[in-house]
Amino acid sequence: MTENPNIPETVRAVAADGTQLRYALMEMAGQMDDVITLGRGDPDLPTPAHIVEAANRAMREGRTGLTPVEGLPQLRAAIANHMREYNGLPVGAENVMVTTGGQEGLFLAIQALIDPGDEILVPDPRYTSYDDAIRRAGGEMVMVPTDREDAFNLEAEAVEAAITPASKALLIVTPSNPTAGIVTEDRLRAIADVCIRHNLIVIVDEIYGRIVYEPWRHFSIGSLPGMAERTITLDAFSKAYAMTGWRCGYVAAPENVIDAMARVKQVTTGPVATVSQWAGLAALTGPQDCVSDYLQIYTERRAVLLDGLDRMGFAYGEPRGGLFVWADSSSTGIHAAELSYLLLKEGRVLIFPGTAFGENWREYVRITLLEPIETLKAAVERMLPVLARYRA
Amino acid sequence: MEKNNTMTPPKLLARPLAERVAALDDLRPPSADEPDIPANVIEAAVAALARGETHYTDRPGIPEFRAWVADHLAQRYAVVVDPAEVTITCGSTEARFVTMTLLAEAGSAVLCPGDSSPIRGALHILGADIVDTIRDDVSLLYISPDVYRETSIELLQRAEERDWWIVYDLSFAKTAPPFHPAQNEKLASRVVTIDSLSADLAGWRLGWMAGSAAALRLRAGKQAITICTTAVSQWAGLEWVRTAL
Repeated sequence: MTENPNIPETVRAVAADGTQLRYALMEMAGQMDDVITLGRGDPDLPTPAHIVEAANRAMREGRTGLTPVEGLPQLRAAIANHMREYNGLPVGAENVMVTTGGQEGLFLAIQALIDPGDEILVPDPRYTSYDDAIRRAGGEMVMVPTDREDAFNLEAEAVEAAITPASKALLIVTPSNPTAGIVTEDRLRAIADVCIRHNLIVIVDEIYGRIVYEPWRHFSIGSLPGMAERTITLDAFSKAYAMTGWRCGYVAAPENVIDAMARVKQVTTGPVATVSQWAGLAALTGPQDCVSDYLQIYTERRAVLLDGLDRMGFAYGEPRGGLFVWADSSSTGIHAAELSYLLLKEGRVLIFPGTAFGENWREYVRITLLEPIETLKAAVERMLPVLARYRA
Repeated sequence: MEKNNTMTPPKLLARPLAERVAALDDLRPPSADEPDIPANVIEAAVAALARGETHYTDRPGIPEFRAWVADHLAQRYAVVVDPAEVTITCGSTEARFVTMTLLAEAGSAVLCPGDSSPIRGALHILGADIVDTIRDDVSLLYISPDVYRETSIELLQRAEERDWWIVYDLSFAKTAPPFHPAQNEKLASRVVTIDSLSADLAGWRLGWMAGSAAALRLRAGKQAITICTTAVSQWAGLEWVRTAL
């Protein structure tokens, strides 16, 4: 963390905890007027109308009682069908559980699978909101490097080099939060070979899997031969259908893992809110135009933001998926935490410093695509003079 | 779906998983009894969706609901809690899990003079014991109103002497007496109140945890599991508490 005395104590005090650092910046932004928020990964687009209507019908028809902890049977069946058709996973409803958003899926997987001392391989940079679940279980994170020149793709050789006798699992987030890189099919095939040879479990977060930019394609490692039985696939409705507030996600895994996770969930949070599950069912079984429409909107926004980053002198690995750009801010000569603070305080633009996603990323920032194009352009115009003022 | 086309349990997962979850309860089917939800609650939820309340809420919950919880504790129990010390949870289940696993310590004992079934699973995951008599290794006292009436004096004296955390769980109380351990000023900063709307809005998954010097830590603990509680449920719950309680 920077020693700059201008950084307020509220930010400095939590700088070592990526999640808390993000929340401190969000709370600071919340107390300011007229801030453009390009921080949190919460789609600004509305939940599609047919999904809201389905929820309204369920509520008005009294379909709001508790469901089984594993989820509404119709939804589990629909998820299994979707994961077979879209992800190529060999799953039935018994391999699926509904979770309170994608984050709980990771939490339950870790609680069910990880013993104290187990090592989990995690690509660096990482989504630090997962750290808490791993720490609680007594797991140890072992970083696997990725880099901008490789568009933050994950290399099998790097995974294998990080394996020790204590290695239990590999965590993959593809498309990645924060880097917007994807792990391509060829790399996943090589990584699968490594995981089978070393008997590793794979926990793969595919929550951005339907937000992948041309010409790239999402690929699920659990679809490869020999991988389904060792892969826990996490997903949620939050991003593809703009449903963050509904808190509805899902997990696909071997049946005994689902049973274990459900037992843990029963004493952790209980079933997912029933209305959210009806909404999720409508999302999967209703028209899918909304997903492609939203992807088109994000594609156009991405082009605008990348143009702005070029003007700002920020380099970046090609953002191939997801809702972010992970940009190299080293040309400013300013520590990312300080830069984020200055851009918020003086430019009224909230972005997140790279250090919120890994201690070593002090020359990177994460910027979301989650504002309309005109707002993104305005954000760039606000940031440019701040950068000019402070650039070394 | 052909059974032979589905995932099969791998050997490497089966044994540790079986050991890990063996002590957790079997899955329970949901109760068939679900009271009718008043129309005004449903329409409040519909209205919330119509105005776009489909995004993450504030991490600890919508401010209006947190303010109601604080006001409720003040009115009913004369306990002062800042709304900033209130976190709306996914039912009381999440509130209990978060408080138990963040306030008790692995290897320690949780003193539970009444029914321990609501916290048994969380403490198994944490690796803490449940005891019904006072021991040196107790770090937390879990009580509900039924027990509190009979044993309060001695337990609270010990809690004060030994700096125990106290979790006061109102979520199973049909009617709660006006007593509350946080009325004792010396204890108040170590008392977390849990309650929920599970009796009337079970499928909406609404509960809360309120108060104590650990409130911000508890909020972060909840955030790490589910980020925030379902937005539409919070708006429905707000209408419920404003009109039905």
